[in-house]
Amino acid sequence: MLLKLGGHCSFQDFSEESCHGPGSDEMVQEENEFTNRPDNTAFTQQRLPAWQPILSAGIVIPGFVLIGLAFIGVGVALFVTSRSIQVLERDYTGDESGTPCASCANSNVQNSFGFCFPQSQGPVFFYYGLSNYFQNYRRYGTSKDDNQLYGVLKYFTSPSDNCAPYAYNSNNQPIVPCGSIANSMFNDTFKLYQTVNGTRQEVSLDGKGIAWWTDYNIKYRNPTNNPLKDAFNGSNSGLFYRNFLINPIYWSKPAYELDTSDPSNNGFVNQDFLVWMRRAALPDFRKLYRRISQDKYPDGLPAGNYSLEITYNYRVYRFSGKKKVVFSNVSWMGGKNEFLGIAYLVVGSMCVFMSIVMLIVYAKFKFPDEE
Amino acid sequence: MTDYFIPRSAELSLCFSEPLFLQDVNDRWSLQHPQLYCPGQKNQYFNKKAFASCVMHSCYSSLILFFIPWAAMRDTVRDDGKDIANYQSFALLTQTCLLIVVFTQLCLDTYYWSAVNHFFVWGSIAAYFAITFTMYSNGMFYIFTSTFPFVGTARNSLNQPNVWLTIFLSSLLCILPVVAFRFILIQLRPTINDKVRYKMRKEVLPAPAPRRLLRRRSTRSGYAFSHSQGYGELITSQNFLMKRPLKRASLFPQTDSPIFQNQPQHYLDHQQIKKLTDSMNGGLSLLLKRRVAILVT
Repeated sequence: MLLKLGGHCSFQDFSEESCHGPGSDEMVQEENEFTNRPDNTAFTQQRLPAWQPILSAGIVIPGFVLIGLAFIGVGVALFVTSRSIQVLERDYTGDESGTPCASCANSNVQNSFGFCFPQSQGPVFFYYGLSNYFQNYRRYGTSKDDNQLYGVLKYFTSPSDNCAPYAYNSNNQPIVPCGSIANSMFNDTFKLYQTVNGTRQEVSLDGKGIAWWTDYNIKYRNPTNNPLKDAFNGSNSGLFYRNFLINPIYWSKPAYELDTSDPSNNGFVNQDFLVWMRRAALPDFRKLYRRISQDKYPDGLPAGNYSLEITYNYRVYRFSGKKKVVFSNVSWMGGKNEFLGIAYLVVGSMCVFMSIVMLIVYAKFKFPDEE
Repeated sequence: MTDYFIPRSAELSLCFSEPLFLQDVNDRWSLQHPQLYCPGQKNQYFNKKAFASCVMHSCYSSLILFFIPWAAMRDTVRDDGKDIANYQSFALLTQTCLLIVVFTQLCLDTYYWSAVNHFFVWGSIAAYFAITFTMYSNGMFYIFTSTFPFVGTARNSLNQPNVWLTIFLSSLLCILPVVAFRFILIQLRPTINDKVRYKMRKEVLPAPAPRRLLRRRSTRSGYAFSHSQGYGELITSQNFLMKRPLKRASLFPQTDSPIFQNQPQHYLDHQQIKKLTDSMNGGLSLLLKRRVAILVT
């Protein structure tokens, strides 16, 4: 039995005859008025199926305990690894008498000092370190021409304005490589000797592959001229001989003579140059100088007496900088840095402590879920 | 320097899209508990105190996000002895820490994880890493040499375990205090929002008892019943317009507001109508039941 109320249809009969009636015009009118109504879909009516998490005790408290225990584990591993790394540092600024190289500051003296090494485990890396040296200063950091360093000859004769005041010298000759980063390149050299039975034997140092491979292969390129020297006399650009390119003011030799014994280490792809150009983030930094080569010492440096001969070229006293040498071996976490291990241990313990506190809070002031 | 805008754009895409689909309490519960709107009117979530706590949280996060990478990068090197404490790696590390902290904080603030939210959150993180690696790639350097000087930085620093450990440490150090603070606050001083969401969760998890749900709706079912056979007399009787004191959880001592009574239900579908009819069978008086029985046969 059907019931019709107004213009509505019965639920069980969808035939057209029963669905029209006096109310159909009203329904059409109603529909016109409601054309702006949004669709009744899950997306438009914000009824999308969703995961609605809340911070419940069952998740938070065990989560904190797990994170705390994991952090303590990682912290112990980091701390133990960091402790096992051997580091030897010697300051050789020579700013105080009695320190190594005390007389070096006044003249270019080759000085040497001795020290003892314990038996090292694994390859030893030789770093030079500088203090109070702000390579992260912005004007200093932008003072280079990446196009020049990529070997584009056009920029050899017209360096970028970023390099000012190290773009042209007083005779208006362009400087290659321009900029203050290149100009301030570190130029002390070191030689390491081992004292064996009273005689000094030089320890061979390996300078290959001390810079990032992306720097060596991609970021820096020499111009394609052969010999390299030709790129630096400005002849390519058709300038007069007066405008030949000069090396940075502070350099004692031009870029194409940085390593004359090895053409793959000469010019802009010289490893020491690349290491220097990768400027440091902090005012106390160390940069890789050499690696104690593995050929003679496959298990690392043996214990004994060593002496280091330094050619002191780099002046740091004017800005109260300090210089040091660092010998260190490395591990899976890098160099010796105890901060990470201690931080992980501290944070892990705090997590466990907080989970206990939260458990007490939860037990005492339980969220009222009755009623 | 030039890639400063990349993390910002990833953040912005996330920040603008997230609020469009956030929903802590849905429409049904919002109508049943209009007290949810009181905190907004009383400015409880946006006042000087809230702003001050936001500032303090920001200061704390900023200090963590700089000093943890600083302390972790001091005097350290890569696992093959090469440089990692350089300007570009340090910038990338700090930037990645910041992004991870922002994403985690947004995840914490997202109460309603629909497909759209999942897409935007995970998509933003993936986009950040994709854009970072693209910007620091060889190709971009070859095309725009002086604009993209950070070539190789992502590849050489993000493959170091101590970099990832630093990122992990700084992000958890920023997030865990927030989680602990919120949890303790929910236990000690639950807001109306927390209470409703807790109730919502408790109701959703077990199978909803139809009678309990539907008693609240029985006064506004005139429209729905009109679709069903056999209820003409019931509807034209005055019983549906009676105001019944509804059973309400004592969590909320107030009675219904006027808006609750007059709101029509447009979205009852077939199954909901069936449930209504079942409740009718349970809730009606015997007299009405008899009348209905006569009509139906």
